Amino acid sequence: MTGRTPVRLTVNETDYDVTVEPRRLLADVLREDCNLTGTKLGCEHGVCGSCTVLVDGEGVRSCLMFAVQCAGRDIRTVEGLAAHGRLHAFQQAISTEHGLQCGFCTAGFVMLVVGALEDDPSIAEDPERLDGLLSSNLCRCTGYEGIRRAVLRAYGRNGTHEKDGAEGH
Amino acid sequence: MSDLPPTRAPVQPPVSPPPTFTHVPQGAQSWLLGRREDARLVTGAGRYVGDLKVAGCLDAAFVRSRVAHGRLLAVDTGAAAEIDGVVGVWSAADMGDELPVVPSFTPGSADEERQRPALAVDRVRYVGEPVAVIVGTDRYVAEDGADAVRVDIDPLPVLVDPGQAAASSTWLFDGVDNVADEMEFGEPVDDEVWQRAAVVVEGAYRQPRLAPTPMEPRAILAVPELDGRVTIWVSHQAPHRLQKDLATALQLDVERIRVRVPDSGGAFGSKSGTFPEYLSVVRLALRLGRPVRWIEDRAETLSGATHGRGQNQRVRIAADEDGRMLALALEVDADVGGYPIAGFVAAETGLAAAGPYLTPKVHARVRTVVTNTTPTAPYRGAGRPEQVYAVERTVDLLARRLGMDPAELRRRNFIPPEAFPYEAPTGRRYDSGQYALALDKALELVDYGYWREEQRRRRRSDTERALGIGLCSFAERSGLEQAPMAHEWASLDVTPDGRVVARIGTCSTGQSHETVFPELVAHTLGIPAQCVSLIEGDTDEVVQGIGTFGSRSMQAGGSALHQAALELIEEAKRRAVRMGCAEPDVGYADGTVSAGERSWTLGDLATASPEPLRVEGVYDNAAAFPFGTYVAVVEVDPELGNVRVLRLVAIDDCGVAVDPEIVEDQTIGAIVQGIGQALYEEMPYDNQGTPQADGLLGYLLPTIGELPPLTLDTTVTPNPNTALGAKGAGEAGCIGTPPAIVNAVIDALGQSVAGTDIGGVQLPLTPETCWRAAAGQEVGAR
Repeated sequence: MTGRTPVRLTVNETDYDVTVEPRRLLADVLREDCNLTGTKLGCEHGVCGSCTVLVDGEGVRSCLMFAVQCAGRDIRTVEGLAAHGRLHAFQQAISTEHGLQCGFCTAGFVMLVVGALEDDPSIAEDPERLDGLLSSNLCRCTGYEGIRRAVLRAYGRNGTHEKDGAEGH
Repeated sequence: MSDLPPTRAPVQPPVSPPPTFTHVPQGAQSWLLGRREDARLVTGAGRYVGDLKVAGCLDAAFVRSRVAHGRLLAVDTGAAAEIDGVVGVWSAADMGDELPVVPSFTPGSADEERQRPALAVDRVRYVGEPVAVIVGTDRYVAEDGADAVRVDIDPLPVLVDPGQAAASSTWLFDGVDNVADEMEFGEPVDDEVWQRAAVVVEGAYRQPRLAPTPMEPRAILAVPELDGRVTIWVSHQAPHRLQKDLATALQLDVERIRVRVPDSGGAFGSKSGTFPEYLSVVRLALRLGRPVRWIEDRAETLSGATHGRGQNQRVRIAADEDGRMLALALEVDADVGGYPIAGFVAAETGLAAAGPYLTPKVHARVRTVVTNTTPTAPYRGAGRPEQVYAVERTVDLLARRLGMDPAELRRRNFIPPEAFPYEAPTGRRYDSGQYALALDKALELVDYGYWREEQRRRRRSDTERALGIGLCSFAERSGLEQAPMAHEWASLDVTPDGRVVARIGTCSTGQSHETVFPELVAHTLGIPAQCVSLIEGDTDEVVQGIGTFGSRSMQAGGSALHQAALELIEEAKRRAVRMGCAEPDVGYADGTVSAGERSWTLGDLATASPEPLRVEGVYDNAAAFPFGTYVAVVEVDPELGNVRVLRLVAIDDCGVAVDPEIVEDQTIGAIVQGIGQALYEEMPYDNQGTPQADGLLGYLLPTIGELPPLTLDTTVTPNPNTALGAKGAGEAGCIGTPPAIVNAVIDALGQSVAGTDIGGVQLPLTPETCWRAAAGQEVGAR
């Protein structure tokens, strides 16, 4: 349990060589060893979704995965979304639509939505599937309306995501 | 066991993290965002306590009692201390004279007889009470240490219900009984009034315990600094009160303590306290001379932090044959848990008993009773949702008894607009209100006539689901009435380049202060919003403050900044006069003082004199009384007991909304918490005092899938006591929603469950509760 194992993690296309105990959770290694603190831990038992990151393109609870399981896999976190000083369309949309207040669950929702909608943007057009997706994460501040509107703004018909990038200038 | 080490100087050069508000991602200046906070929060660049990196930081973990009530015989820390990486393990015995005690919120009150030590001394009083603390090189190691501690407890009889505890001969605290406080509001109602009234109704209700559940549990980082001070980074609503309490409990000079609140992951009232764990963490950081942090996990917080609500209530209303209320009596047994830390919550329920009604006789009797459960403390609404629920359910009961429309019954009893300021029989003084206006608007927006007709139609049909319409009208107090808490400190400084730095004693835990307060100051001064920045949540930068709770931030803090901005304009004009212009000519507009041909910007005036251009003050802000009416339309599936909310209309009046969008954000969030209270949320205990939920699969929060169609609107009755006109906003949603939904469900289920409501339908309205009610079985007997 206490032996330390060298692992190379590829996060947001950057390699991190870390030496960790096998029991260390991916979330803790991202936060403590890679200094990527944008991923939050809200419940540490896989329910709230605040720690959602993408592993090989799939949304996962990083509190339910060990870092050593992720060697050689492609990890994306909220820190990797904004590029060249421009926000990802959904980051922009969730702000515009007031889809956050305290912001603690935000990275989880952002990664959940980006992971699912980049794979299948048609989810935005199907209210039932969209509710099904978003109900996998918890937010205690917003009452969710703004988060739903943000998905439609970014990925709905004529969504900002199609225009490749943020509305900011 | 390890003894406390001697006090040491810090061994590492501590690295304080950068101030939160300057941490802005690259390129963010060009982004057009919904709020200022968002640049860092949507990119993962926010800094919450758990994100702060300090060299040499240790992690703390707590061992908690798994027994609800018992004599603490021994705490064996030997095995834990042996673990590689464990720096130290302390029980109360190991702390000895250094063991801090939580300072009483109300000095001189009943809670001083029932002291709460940072670690249990010889008795444990609830599951989750801290018994020992482990400090280790990281959180995994500290938790290994917690697992290795052996605690020996000799069980005592367990009390989980306040009524039972009040009557029990088992006392939680030797020498004082379980009733911590008894309060009365108003004069007792003569028996004759009840006997002579055309109708008397009575209801008994149970307010389950709720877990506030901000997404970020509690978090603290204590950093001893080289200069002998200590910086406390903490997710908190009232940093100045925490600073003072830490000084008292740890016998430190208050000047030595700097409390800073970085980004905070929500609070909802639950982060306003001075927690026993915080005292241990700061004490050990100082003793070890090293930074120590404690990041609570979810399983811990559900029983180890505080709960909200938790009352047994009984309400009687007497009325004449026209439905005019003659008397209202409210009795409350408030379950304050293992330590009576926040009896003021239940006091609010009593003081508010009259609600929005012109009832001539109102009496409330409130007991706070200790039980072997988690202590209760403020949770969004803090006493008002409890009061409104008790009264609004009983008003519906009265309407059913009289065969009257519940909307008409309420309208007949409202305090009329011309009666304000109105002093209720409980001694509470309401500032202003137009209650019928909000009710009428709600009925219109929901299309009340349509739904009543639809209800009749469905009742004639045997096959369709029962439909119900429920109302809740309320008036709530925002801000505080008592003198030292009814003010707020603010300052404004003009920098030489003409920018304005605002400082305020409130403290955001997600309420968008960084956006709305600069907007407000800029608007008042007539300058662009980007010229104003805000500093709060730092006891060095903000010399005093009350904090954020009771919906007070805009009402009290916003009003203080507004007054300060008006004073700054006057000060700027005085400066111009001193620079040689004749006073009658001096005008101010858009950041510029002008007199005849001459003009000075605020920046000019700031540089023209060595004396800083600044204003500072403590501004009084009386309590205010926002109000509203909520209407819910529900259908109930009689076979499964599921409640479906078809419509929820919320009409709120919080006076002048300075930023209506932000107010709406708060309202929707609170409504969804209210839906949770009505239908899902409860922290149940078994009769051994064991909480029955230790995770978010057991304690159910609403998800987006539970969101009904919402219609929000407002009426505007300005706060008559401030120039700004804002009343509080933020809590109304979870005050108005639960009674509206519950009244609607009872309306759907029909007369069979209406009865006297004693032992009737109780919160939360789970499918089982509704199914039993629909099937005519005994309900609420859990």
